[in-house]
Amino acid sequence: MKVSLNVIRQYIDFELPPIDELVAKINAQLGGVEEVIYLGEKYKDVTIVKVVECEKHPNADKLSVCKIDAGTGELIQVVCGAPNVHAGMWAAWLPPKSVVPASFDDAEPFVLGSRELRGEMSNGMLASARELGIGDDHDGIVEILESDAPKGNNLEVGADFAEIFGLDDYVIDIENKMFTHRPDLFGQLGVAREIAGIFGEQFTSPEWYKTMPEFSDGSGELSLEVFNEAPEKSPRFMAVALNNIEVKQSPLWLKCALIAMGGKPINNIVDATNYIMLITAQPTHAYDYDKIRGGRLGVRMAKHGETITLLNDKTYELTSDDIVIADNEGAIGLAGIMGGGNSEVSPETKSIVLEVANFDMYAVRKSSMRYGLFTDALTRFNKGQSLFQNAYVLNMLMKLTGGMQASEVFDEGNYNDDCTFVSGENISELHASSPHGITTKFINDRLGLALNDQDIERLLTNVEFMVKVDEKGLGIHEPFWRTDIDEPEDIVEEVGRLYGYDRLSLELPLRSAKPTPANAQRELESTLRQVLMRAGANEVLTYSFVHERVLQAANQNKDDAYGLSNALSPDLQYYRLSLTPSLLDKVHPNIKAGHDEFAIFEIGKGHGKSFGTDEDSLPVESEQLAFVYASRHTGEGAAYYRAKVFLEFLASQCGLELAYEPLGGESTSPTVLPFEPKRSAIVTDKTSRLYIGVIGEYKKAVTVNFKLPEYTAGFELDRKAILDLISDVETSYRPLSRYPSVDRDISLKVGASLSYAKVHEALEAALKTGELDTTIEPVSIYRPDDSDTKNVAFHITLTSHDKTLTSDEVNEVIARSVEQLEASIGAEVV
Amino acid sequence: MEKFDSIRQSLLERVAAEAVPRDVLKTPQLKELYAGISALPAEERGAYGKKINELKAELEAAVVAREAAMASADIAPIDVTAPWDENTEPQTLLPAAGGTTHPLMREMERLSAIFTRMGFAIEGSREIDDQYHMFETLNFPKGHPARDDYDTFMTVETDEAGDQLIAPAHTSTMQNRVLKKYKKNLEAGEPIAVVVPDRVFRNEDLDARHEHTFYQFEGVYVGRGVHAGMLISTLKSFLEAYYGKQLDVRVNPFYFPFTEPSFEFALSCPFCESQDQACKVCSGEGWIELLGCGMIHPNVLKAADIDPNEFTGFAWGGGIERLVMMKYGIEDIRHFESAKLDFLRQF
Repeated sequence: MKVSLNVIRQYIDFELPPIDELVAKINAQLGGVEEVIYLGEKYKDVTIVKVVECEKHPNADKLSVCKIDAGTGELIQVVCGAPNVHAGMWAAWLPPKSVVPASFDDAEPFVLGSRELRGEMSNGMLASARELGIGDDHDGIVEILESDAPKGNNLEVGADFAEIFGLDDYVIDIENKMFTHRPDLFGQLGVAREIAGIFGEQFTSPEWYKTMPEFSDGSGELSLEVFNEAPEKSPRFMAVALNNIEVKQSPLWLKCALIAMGGKPINNIVDATNYIMLITAQPTHAYDYDKIRGGRLGVRMAKHGETITLLNDKTYELTSDDIVIADNEGAIGLAGIMGGGNSEVSPETKSIVLEVANFDMYAVRKSSMRYGLFTDALTRFNKGQSLFQNAYVLNMLMKLTGGMQASEVFDEGNYNDDCTFVSGENISELHASSPHGITTKFINDRLGLALNDQDIERLLTNVEFMVKVDEKGLGIHEPFWRTDIDEPEDIVEEVGRLYGYDRLSLELPLRSAKPTPANAQRELESTLRQVLMRAGANEVLTYSFVHERVLQAANQNKDDAYGLSNALSPDLQYYRLSLTPSLLDKVHPNIKAGHDEFAIFEIGKGHGKSFGTDEDSLPVESEQLAFVYASRHTGEGAAYYRAKVFLEFLASQCGLELAYEPLGGESTSPTVLPFEPKRSAIVTDKTSRLYIGVIGEYKKAVTVNFKLPEYTAGFELDRKAILDLISDVETSYRPLSRYPSVDRDISLKVGASLSYAKVHEALEAALKTGELDTTIEPVSIYRPDDSDTKNVAFHITLTSHDKTLTSDEVNEVIARSVEQLEASIGAEVV
Repeated sequence: MEKFDSIRQSLLERVAAEAVPRDVLKTPQLKELYAGISALPAEERGAYGKKINELKAELEAAVVAREAAMASADIAPIDVTAPWDENTEPQTLLPAAGGTTHPLMREMERLSAIFTRMGFAIEGSREIDDQYHMFETLNFPKGHPARDDYDTFMTVETDEAGDQLIAPAHTSTMQNRVLKKYKKNLEAGEPIAVVVPDRVFRNEDLDARHEHTFYQFEGVYVGRGVHAGMLISTLKSFLEAYYGKQLDVRVNPFYFPFTEPSFEFALSCPFCESQDQACKVCSGEGWIELLGCGMIHPNVLKAADIDPNEFTGFAWGGGIERLVMMKYGIEDIRHFESAKLDFLRQF
């Protein structure tokens, strides 16, 4: 929202502080200032001059040699190529060494000089509207008329153009977002009021904005019928026809004011509608009366499939949710957003219809989103403009456009049905008839302040609230433009802001000694990342969204993934089903970056349609931990075992004992799909056999797709399963024995296809004698080439709690175990 | 036609038998079939062409299937229960010195710890949520223009109400849930004090300062007699603990639908003590705008069945990346989710 300080000054009656102080105050009490632009810098050298003499250039047909009076005491010669230059005119002169304002923001601004043009000296130039940056007109120079000057200013030679026309101005750009709930602040008037309020000054709206106009019936020279067939979506639709309209350039002061407020001069009629919008925040529209078919204009819902061509020359096919402005034949404007090209005011226009309407903010927002149309009018309408300023605005607009009122003033809609702003004995028509009841205590409690009734009354009446104080508290009547006051908290905000948040007292809330609850998930996450860091792995974070390519490369089914419908980036198509594919996608870039061996892991979430929904009917979020080990150097044996070491370390640090079962090809869970069934395992809790995750090498195709080194493996675990298991972990502490332990190594020759786990379990069972503690550690697994047997060696530790074990006793235990092993797994001691 | 069927049969047999099944797709026989189209009467060409295309697709599928079968036949199963492979040495971990945790996660743990010390419970957020939690319970009515300020990712899929699901654009999506979860605190005379540090999403184009995936920490505090001064003071205390020094703080008015009044919160630059005109962190401004906050809107409390006349509260939300970037002078926010070891191993 661009705010012109010169415009603001027209509405306030106190001196503003220097710009820095003002900006700081606006930042602190109104809204974030994004940019401060000093227009004056751009226009500082532009001088108002009178062309005293003007003669044809002796050596050039199209040039004139002018003598101008710039108030310097002597006449200055300027060569001018404009056809409209003539003696006696007022013009804007850019002296030598000045910068052409239109080029001010260019990388290389155009600096004028004094030079000969075909033998005649020319000092600087007489400027066109385009060169001044106040219009597109480049056919002639700006002719300044006496009527162009704002009221109270006379033209004088040598006068500062910027000062007379208000371009010695600061433009303050305040973030729009701040004003989402404040439609009134999309007009200069509203901002002026707030600026007065934050400086503790009384603001008084101009008479035209608070005196209900009494419209005449008009001459009746133009026949106009106005209809409102959608009062639910357009609660108020005002329109009037004017004739004797002359379409021309706006006076300079108006053009300059538009420029300062971020507008763009077009012609006097369009400029008037824009000017009134920029001042009051109420968008308005002017139609060429003669282009309105059948003398009927009004608002209705679009017919499904109805088409319309707008001012941007694009044609849209509408839906029945769009509000349109229509004449007798069809739609001529998309309400609240953009007018139609076929009813536009043009230089030939002689009669116009002015519209000042209100539209449902939600409906216009939807239409705007539907067609991707964003305009100044929409920015204001989708904040929900007050229904009670239309008449004031229309009255002022009619004065600005000129012309004669040629029809009655129509006011169609249902807004009167629930009008809360009424004239009454004690209530001004500016204010809500029913007050918001609030107490000073309520306000003080929420701000931590100690204001009294009068403090609050003054703060609010400065911005034209009406406040009635009685024994019950405060009765606050908001003015009609304050559509944001619904709750007492809205008044708290108003009081706090106008008083100044920098004056709030800082005080910490008191707390009891009750301990803060712990978050078990977060604690587990912390443990997992600490453990894996100690194992030499690197934690990574990757996006929750993936491209279809990643899912397919990982052998996952994209139909199981939730899709994104509106991502700007083509890489973000689906919610990831599991974390492993994201990690695999990061292996190759790291290899390429020169990392030959590494382990990365991520703690995150997977989502899939097959995971079902939770008690809130929302997709289940699967809390995962994924880990990938990759090395360019092929290690000894299968990479699987390298990943397993990390998993075993993780398990031991969490107090878990794991079991591994061959993955097999049956599971369709997205987490296991990237893994090669023959070289992967389902990981379960050894005792409960509850699922924890999957570990293994990746499918051949997956390896190729992600350009993985051959020696790559990893795992993906369900953190929720781990959390459930570790909360049940019981420490299996055994008191230390007072007697020494005895070690034995044993090597078992078993069938090559017998799994290690079976051998280990059998040995464990065989050693279980009841009185001895045993620990079993693997030492080696040896299988001669192509042999159908293998040797598995273990290191056994036996401990008695009752006595020192003798060699014979130990030998006997071993011998008994060997016998049992022969029977159970056909093992042979070697 | 009979000829066509016999060609089809023989090609499929070759796919099943040949050492390199993909070669079958390059057979001249297929080309000849295509070439035969022009010899046919015009009205038969369409149907014939379609038939050849179908055959081609059938052959491709057969090749893919055979390749997969061959690939898997080559794969030797391993004993997944063994601690290491046959005839090899026991495996080792990587050197602990090379291990790292992610800087964002580390910072998240750090700030969680400070808030825990201040009496706040820590909760996680969701990555997929409904519009009810993201908007409705936060006083954004359906179709409200304030929703436009949150560039929200939407899913193709819809919830039971027929609305698209969303990737939360702020951790405030958890406000209603934590208010409900801890409402019992209020009944017991204790405040609700929760911080939600977690991942959020904005549908934005990426550049050095903008990520579509980032982390926020949401704070919620509700109790009796809670006022705006306490909000400012609580955040100031947190930041002083975080930076280990005294700081000045400042609030500017702002607009959020879910707080009233709403503020933008800034702290004096802890890096240059607001003294250095050339400070890279605060750009010489002396202030760092860090988070949005405000007094919780009564409609948000009501949505969690908390009486706004009896209880008041404040909430805030701030970005975690920003804290980490300022701390280490990280120049590009995209590094965080890049999984680049060159980046990660510096922390």
